[in-house]
Amino acid sequence: MTTRSSTRSTKRTPTRWFRWRFHLTGILILIPVVLTPFYIELMSVFGGANGLGERTIGAQQVGPWRITLAEQFEKAPSLDGPAGYMKTFNAALCQACAKEVKAVYIRLGKPRSLRTAGVIGFGSPYHMSFSMPVPENTSPTADIWLTAEGWDGAIHQAQWSLAEASPATIEFLMQQQEP
Amino acid sequence: MLKRSYRIAAIALLTTGWSTLSLAHFPFVECRKAAVDIVCQGGFSDGSSVAGVTIDLISYDEDILASKTFDDQSTVHFTPHEGEFYILLDAGPGHTVEVDYQDVSD
Repeated sequence: MTTRSSTRSTKRTPTRWFRWRFHLTGILILIPVVLTPFYIELMSVFGGANGLGERTIGAQQVGPWRITLAEQFEKAPSLDGPAGYMKTFNAALCQACAKEVKAVYIRLGKPRSLRTAGVIGFGSPYHMSFSMPVPENTSPTADIWLTAEGWDGAIHQAQWSLAEASPATIEFLMQQQEP
Repeated sequence: MLKRSYRIAAIALLTTGWSTLSLAHFPFVECRKAAVDIVCQGGFSDGSSVAGVTIDLISYDEDILASKTFDDQSTVHFTPHEGEFYILLDAGPGHTVEVDYQDVSD
């Protein structure tokens, strides 16, 4: 043991830099100090502490139920590998109807059937999250169709124009479709 | 000792990366006309396979003309159909992808 430590001390001469390198690690503490406020802000968007999303689109009556829709971030859709561009919306059911609704789906364009109603909402009934695919050739005049399925089997639908729901997505589509 | 801390840091970084990746998991499917058949290649955006997942060829009148499952290579073959139809990958409620017959590439 003694032999090994003595060998090591002869190998490495403690320089000024070597000693200060340890003290510099203290700067690492500054990283969370700077980034924590941004992280808390971001988590409040996901958790709902700052409302349903960055921009609330509005509430609509969907059959007997009232549903509020919001853009999670006022941003263009983001690319998710081979699945294409995705745009995240959040939705909330009214307190009285939360127990009556089994599932909520959204998609671009009118669904052909319940099977093709679009992406399903994840999370609590008061803060459901949807990652909706946005094909690059989507018409800027397209509508977002929301389908709500009740536990009694009832299906109700509502729609928002994409322009109303996400101006950032319209801007993105215009850029993609520029000749 | 130093090697061990590097290893821990690497594991921490990788698990953080994986946890973010696992959040996104969207199905996709692309179909093309081969010599005889329509061949569809599917997958999930996180790179996982769709082997065993249902894929149907459905007419615009909502008649299921063919119902198949993806093979181990995440591909499926359909005999071409005249008329208007769409191909539907169905990985469960809210996990579907449609390909219109007009979007089947040559």
